[in-house]
Amino acid sequence: MSKASALAAGRDSSRERGASSGAAEVVYNAESRVRRPRELFAVLCRDLVASRELAWRFMVRDLRAQYRQAALGVAWAFVPPLLLAAGATLASRAQVINVGATDLPYPAYVMFSTALWQTFVEALHGPSQAVASAKAMLARIAFPREAIVLAKVGEVLVNFGGKLLLIAAMFLWFGIPVTWTALLAPVAVLELVLLGTLLGVLVAPFAVLYQDVSRALMLASGFWLFLTPVVYPVPGAGAFGTVVRLNPVTPVLVTARELATTGVVSDPWGFTAVSVATLLGLLVTWVVFRLAMPFAIERAGS
Amino acid sequence: MTGTSPGSDLALSVDLVSKRFCRDFRRSLRYGLRDIASELLGRRRPVESLRTGEFWALRDVSLEVRRGEAVGLIGPNGAGKTTLLRLISGLINPDGGSLTVRGRVAPLISLGVGFNPVLTGAENIFVIMTILGLTKKEIDRRFAEIVDFAEIGDALQAPVQTYSWGMTARLGFACAVHAAPDILVIDEVLAVGDTRFRVKCYRRLAAMRDAGAAFVLVSHNPLAILSVCDSATYLSAGRVLAQGPPRSVVARYEEEMAGNGAAIPDGAAAAARAVEGSGARIESVGFRDPAGNALERLVSGEPAELWVRGRAERTLEAVSVAVLVREATEGGALVFELQSRDDAGPMEVPMGEFVIRVKLPYCGLNAGLYSVQVSLMEGHFLWMLDQSPPRIFRVGGREGTSQWLFYQPRGWELLTGLDLPRAGKLDR
Repeated sequence: MSKASALAAGRDSSRERGASSGAAEVVYNAESRVRRPRELFAVLCRDLVASRELAWRFMVRDLRAQYRQAALGVAWAFVPPLLLAAGATLASRAQVINVGATDLPYPAYVMFSTALWQTFVEALHGPSQAVASAKAMLARIAFPREAIVLAKVGEVLVNFGGKLLLIAAMFLWFGIPVTWTALLAPVAVLELVLLGTLLGVLVAPFAVLYQDVSRALMLASGFWLFLTPVVYPVPGAGAFGTVVRLNPVTPVLVTARELATTGVVSDPWGFTAVSVATLLGLLVTWVVFRLAMPFAIERAGS
Repeated sequence: MTGTSPGSDLALSVDLVSKRFCRDFRRSLRYGLRDIASELLGRRRPVESLRTGEFWALRDVSLEVRRGEAVGLIGPNGAGKTTLLRLISGLINPDGGSLTVRGRVAPLISLGVGFNPVLTGAENIFVIMTILGLTKKEIDRRFAEIVDFAEIGDALQAPVQTYSWGMTARLGFACAVHAAPDILVIDEVLAVGDTRFRVKCYRRLAAMRDAGAAFVLVSHNPLAILSVCDSATYLSAGRVLAQGPPRSVVARYEEEMAGNGAAIPDGAAAAARAVEGSGARIESVGFRDPAGNALERLVSGEPAELWVRGRAERTLEAVSVAVLVREATEGGALVFELQSRDDAGPMEVPMGEFVIRVKLPYCGLNAGLYSVQVSLMEGHFLWMLDQSPPRIFRVGGREGTSQWLFYQPRGWELLTGLDLPRAGKLDR
C-alpha cells in the first residue's frame, strides 16, 4: 500500500517540476492518442522539426552509400527511361503498338514521361523500403520516425535531379522549345513525389507486419503503369480513357510534362483537386503512420 | 539541487505497467492490425483481459529511477526485462498503466546498429550521434573525444565494413556513451573489448552517473547487478517478485534459480534423454563434501565432489564422463569442461547401480550461479549413453573476490635472513 502511494506522489511532483522547469517529460499509457488531438499534434510537430537534421543525415548517408558502391553512379537514374523509350519507339515504329499523336517527338515523350513515372514509383516504394532497411534501428532506438520518410523524399528528388540531365539532353537533341512555364514544372514534380509518398507512408507500417503489402505494391505499380499516360497520350473517350483519367497520377504527371514543354495545361482542375487532396491526405497518413508504427515495431522483433 | 519534494529528481517512473504478447505469430499480426485500428479510432484503453493465445509479458510492474541512480532488472529468460526496456525507450506502447520518462533515453543495446558498412567511421559517427538526438554542433564538439575513446585511429576514414568486430563494438560503444542521455538503458552489455578497454567503459559509465544520468540495467549476471546498481527488481514471468536493495533481491533470485534444481528447459538435453535402451542412464547429479554429505551450494576454495549416480543395464566397456560447467546466463559462457577420458582413461562399469565421483580438491569457481551438465559416453567414438539436463547451482564467494574471473587459492609467506634462498636463485 505504502509503495503504491509513494509512486503516485512521486509522479505528481515530477509533473509539477516538469511543468515549471520545462524538462521534456513524456508519458506513455494505454489510451489512444487520438483522444488528445492537441497533445498529439504538438508531439508530431515537435518531432517533425526535430527530424530535419536527422533526415538530412539519412539522406546524405543513403545517397553516399548508393553512389559509392555503384560504378555507374548517376547513370542508373537515366538508363531505365532510355531503355523504355527505345523499346516503346521500336514497338511503335513497327506498328506493334499504336499510339496516337503526342505533343513531343515520341521517343522524347516516352523518356520524359518515364522519368516522371519512375520518380512517382520511387516515392511510392520509398517509405516501406526505408522502414524495412531501418527495422533494426527502429526496434532499438526511439528517434523521430518522420526522418526516414523525409530522407527518402529527399533522395527521390535528388535522383530526379540526375534524371534532369537526361531530360535536358533530350530537349537539346530534339530541339524542343521551352516556355517560361517550365519554371512551374518543379511544383508539379514535387506534387508527384508527394502523391507517391502519401500512399507509400500509408502502407509502410503494414508492410512491416505483412510481406504481402510490399509484394502487392510491386504488382500494383507494374499494373498502374498501363493506366498512366506514359507510353501513350491521354486517351479520348471510352472506358479505358475514363479509367486513365480517374487515375490520380494522370493529371499530375501530365501537368508536369505540359508545364515543362508546351506550357498549356490541359487539366488544371484535375491537377488542383489531386494536389489539395494530397496535401490533406498527407496530414492524415502522417498521423496514421506515427500511431501505427509502435504496433508494427512491437511485432518486427529486434 | 533545489528540489524539495521527494520526486523532484525522478528520471523515470513506471506505474503498474502491463503488456501482453502473443506467441502465435500469425495471430499476433492480426492483433496488431486490430490494435492499430482501435488506436486510430480512439478506442484503445487499458486492458484487463487477454485475447486467445496471449500472455502477460509484464503485469502491474512499478519502478522508480532517480537521476544518478542505477536500477537493475534481473530475472530468467522471458521474464519481461527487455520488454520493459523497450517500453521505457518509448518503442512500444503499454497495454495498461503508465510510464513517465523525463529527459532523453538512449540505449546501450544498439552497439553497431545503424552503421552503414560502406561509409567511413567518421561518417557513421555523425549518423549515429544524430539518431541519438545530438545536433551537428554538439557532435562537432564531441567528435574528437569519441574517436579518441573508440581508439580506431587511422581507420577513421576507412569503411566500417573493413573494421574488426572489436573495432565496430568499440565505436558503437563510444557513440552510445557520448550521447549524454538522461536515462541510459543497458541490455546485458556493460562493456566491450579487451580488459583494458572494459575498464575504460566502466569508468566512463561511472562518470556519466556522477553527472546525473540514470541507468536501467538488464542482466542475468548477479555480479553486474551487485556491483553497479543501487536497487534491483526481480522479474519473473512478467511480475515483480522482489524489489529493493540489490543484495537481498539478488539473493532471492539466486535462491529460486538454484532451488529449481534442473531448471533450464533445454530442448537438446530432453531429446538426448529420450535415448532409451542405450544401456545406461544418469539418475542424479549432485555436489557433496569430502565426507559424502550433500552440499546445498559450493564455496570458493573449499573442497567438493560431484556425484554422478546412474544405472547400467549391461556391462559397459569403455565409459567416459564429460562435465560441462557454464555460467547460468543466457547462452552462458563455458567455464570449463572435464573429460574423464583425458584425465583417467576409460572406465569399465559393471551392470547395476554406479556412482562416479569427480573429486575437486578445491572449488575454483568464483561466487555466482552456474549450471552443470553431465554426459555419459561409451567407446572411442563417444557414443552418447545419457546426458543430464543442466542443473543450476550456486557458489558462495569470499570477501573481496567479486571482481575476479575465478577463485585463486593462495598462501602468503615472508622469507627473511636464513630462510632466503641462496644468492643467484633470488636474482632471477
